[in-house]
Amino acid sequence: MSGIAKAFDPGTVLLAKHAQHVVLVHFPIALFITGVALDWVGRWTRRNGLGEAAYYNLLIAAVSTLPVVATGLLAWQFQLEGQRLKGLLLMHLVLGWLSSLLIVAVWWLHFRSRRRGSSLPKYVALVEAAGLLAVGLTGHLGGFLSGVSGS
Amino acid sequence: MRRRVWILGLAAPVLAAAGLLVGGSRGFTARAGQAQAQASGAEVKIDNFSFGPGIVTVPVGTTVTWTNRDDIPHTVVSDDKVFKSKVLDTDEKFSYSFTKPGTFGYFCSIHPKMTGKVVVQ
Repeated sequence: MSGIAKAFDPGTVLLAKHAQHVVLVHFPIALFITGVALDWVGRWTRRNGLGEAAYYNLLIAAVSTLPVVATGLLAWQFQLEGQRLKGLLLMHLVLGWLSSLLIVAVWWLHFRSRRRGSSLPKYVALVEAAGLLAVGLTGHLGGFLSGVSGS
Repeated sequence: MRRRVWILGLAAPVLAAAGLLVGGSRGFTARAGQAQAQASGAEVKIDNFSFGPGIVTVPVGTTVTWTNRDDIPHTVVSDDKVFKSKVLDTDEKFSYSFTKPGTFGYFCSIHPKMTGKVVVQ
């Protein structure tokens, strides 16, 4: 099968055992960073529209962490047969879990304050900053491991 | 007549240089792409997301040792799962003894575009 035909072959694309993780991971990264940026600018400028946009970015970011975590764990099982991880791979796994938890936590804090009709707690910005840091580190390690950056 | 001598005089060294360049680069390519192993063991270095040499030719009974010289982890897995390493961190090694003749393709399961071949004669 030629390269072009292979690139558009659904079987090749969907059944690639671990390629999906490196594709899907871009969704929560981009949505979370955009969501946090919109939230901060919205609060700074007191524009509610930006806060609304931030909420939906954070919601989809939280949802999109599920397939990312699933495909990451599947890659570990398929490609490395679940062997005990160490070094960079272990660090990537731990930071990936932490990033996912922080993304979901940030969305949940926004969700809770919307449901209660109250303003966001002040520490949300800290959780968001921690999330950005974790996402950045996880993404950096992922890029390093996949050879996209750093080598 | 004099003009022809000039042309020949200029063309000869150019042709000779071109010949040496082509011959030399062929030899270099052959050395880079394929290595004839010594009797007992052969070494394959993993560096910069590639196996070097990419093709190694060894006699039956040879033990091939892969060493990860890269900053990131890699694995060595044969296409038909005859041999399979654990995740190799920097400077870790994996060895396999080839007791049957044949061509054994292998790859890194973390980076499947990294491939190599062991030809056992």
